[in-house]
Amino acid sequence: MFSKAMTNLLILSRRVRAFVARDFRLAISYRMEFSLRILSVLLVVTTLFFIAKIFGGRSDVALAAWHDPLAAWITGLAVLNYFMTGFSSLANAVRVEQAQGTLESVLMTPIDIPTLVIASSAWDFVQATFFSFLYLFFGWILFDVHFRGSFPLAALFLILTTLVLASLGILSASFAMVFKRGDPFGVLLGTGSALFSGVFFPTEFLGEFRAISRVLPPTYGLAGIRQVLIEGKGLNEVKEPLLTLAVFLAVLLPFSLWVFGRAIRRAKREGSLVQY
Amino acid sequence: MSAAIVIENLYKTYPVPLAGLLRFLRRSTKRPTEALRGVSFKIEAGEIFGLIGRNGAGKTTLVKTIATLIRPTAGRVLVHGYDTVRDEERVRALIGLATAEERSFYWRLTVEQNLLFFARLYGLPERAARRRVAELLDQFELSDQTRRRFAELSSGNRQRLAVARAMLNSPPVLLLDEPTRSLDPVAAASMRAMIAAAARENGATVLLTSHNLHEIEELCARIAIISRGRIVALDAPQALRARHRQTERVSLTIRNLTRHEAIEALAGFIPTLESAERDGIVELRFLRAPEDEALDRALRNLYARGATIIDCQTEKATLLDVLESYD
Repeated sequence: MFSKAMTNLLILSRRVRAFVARDFRLAISYRMEFSLRILSVLLVVTTLFFIAKIFGGRSDVALAAWHDPLAAWITGLAVLNYFMTGFSSLANAVRVEQAQGTLESVLMTPIDIPTLVIASSAWDFVQATFFSFLYLFFGWILFDVHFRGSFPLAALFLILTTLVLASLGILSASFAMVFKRGDPFGVLLGTGSALFSGVFFPTEFLGEFRAISRVLPPTYGLAGIRQVLIEGKGLNEVKEPLLTLAVFLAVLLPFSLWVFGRAIRRAKREGSLVQY
Repeated sequence: MSAAIVIENLYKTYPVPLAGLLRFLRRSTKRPTEALRGVSFKIEAGEIFGLIGRNGAGKTTLVKTIATLIRPTAGRVLVHGYDTVRDEERVRALIGLATAEERSFYWRLTVEQNLLFFARLYGLPERAARRRVAELLDQFELSDQTRRRFAELSSGNRQRLAVARAMLNSPPVLLLDEPTRSLDPVAAASMRAMIAAAARENGATVLLTSHNLHEIEELCARIAIISRGRIVALDAPQALRARHRQTERVSLTIRNLTRHEAIEALAGFIPTLESAERDGIVELRFLRAPEDEALDRALRNLYARGATIIDCQTEKATLLDVLESYD
């Protein structure tokens, strides 16, 4: 049994590596895009630095609740980049494979659904990790933004929230598999998270709309990471958002994998795997 | 011989997307498309089996259903005993599919990168994957194209690459949907030789669809004709031709005999004789049952009377005749 599990793990790692190698080669075949994205991160961080200066010394501004707005924004953007990758990468992968006509070829190989889900998103996570790190790195090296607190605890928040969003992303991919375009999850979570999850401003600003932020998983992820990294809080002080995320994950992950399996079956019933 | 593929009473009806919703909204809907209607047959292990039919007859739907890419509405397909719906992953490990669809590759990746990607998905270890890719590139005469992007390949080379990909994990069953569609005559002949070799050397079962009837006849031991979703005929090519036409037309061109002398030579045993004479050349045409003795006797009698045979042709029923007769 142990050896079978090891063999399966080995085959999974081969397949994930196959997707990462493929996506890396496709990415470097568009040479300019990568350099321009690095430049774009640098410009965003620099812009935020100057906007943060506007609030410097103004203790009456409600934003002061964040203590260090630049650190909060940089963390928010770095984390949002990661969250959105979790949410959108599989749906994008499905859409791209359908549009290219390669989805059938991939599904002709003996690859199971969880492997397909993990492997299709793997390269996007490699990229997201790099660019999220870049936000923090530019903030630290150029604008003296310092982070304290437990990085492993922050990473736990990051992983949990990303998995919750990936589950929603699997639902979004299921939608793309069947209906091809017009995904409602993308609109609600993509644009909704930036507005309601406290990426650019504290959720306290939302007033009566704050209820919306409470049903969005990124709100808990962002709050937790900021409390850990910027305010230096420990595990006991961030238990509540951590547990909320765990509940989201326990419900959403099995449900979304079940829906994705159904979506593939439906596309096969309709004969629409390569339609887009 | 055991059956590699068993197809039992297979039906496939493509549903109209959101038909229920449209009916609820009292909007008119299209009729669902019945692509396969009660298809049943077996393909023996190691056999090269041909499937022919006009466009839209159901060939591709049948191939994709065997390949697990389309779910049947009713009936079942077994590949080496595994059900294509219940044991999907196992079936996929046993099958290699090559279609004429050029969009099934990554256009910005090279030939080698494309094949390596799919070899890894089949779970081949890195070294074995590289070795297998090199072997196939050599076998399909693509070694000099290894580092070219797929987008830069000719249609013929793309087609070869599709068949090479289908053979990456040396599957016992190959589904080849029009594998020579874009190939020039020489390349097509070479592809046919490769398909025959795959079946002979690896014992692979091959299901081949093609619009090239000569190719089907050359390669396949048995052929099924599909028309409007039904298998309307299934037999060896010769048997199908014989079933279609009971007689064949013989044309003889001779000299050194007059038309009258030629008619006399064949009198009594050829009742359907037509003849014409021009510039000392006599044309004789008659019908005979395939492989009867009428032709042999006619030639002997004509020789005996001093005729020189300039030309002799027999016109048999072609697979095209057979195909057209079922439409």
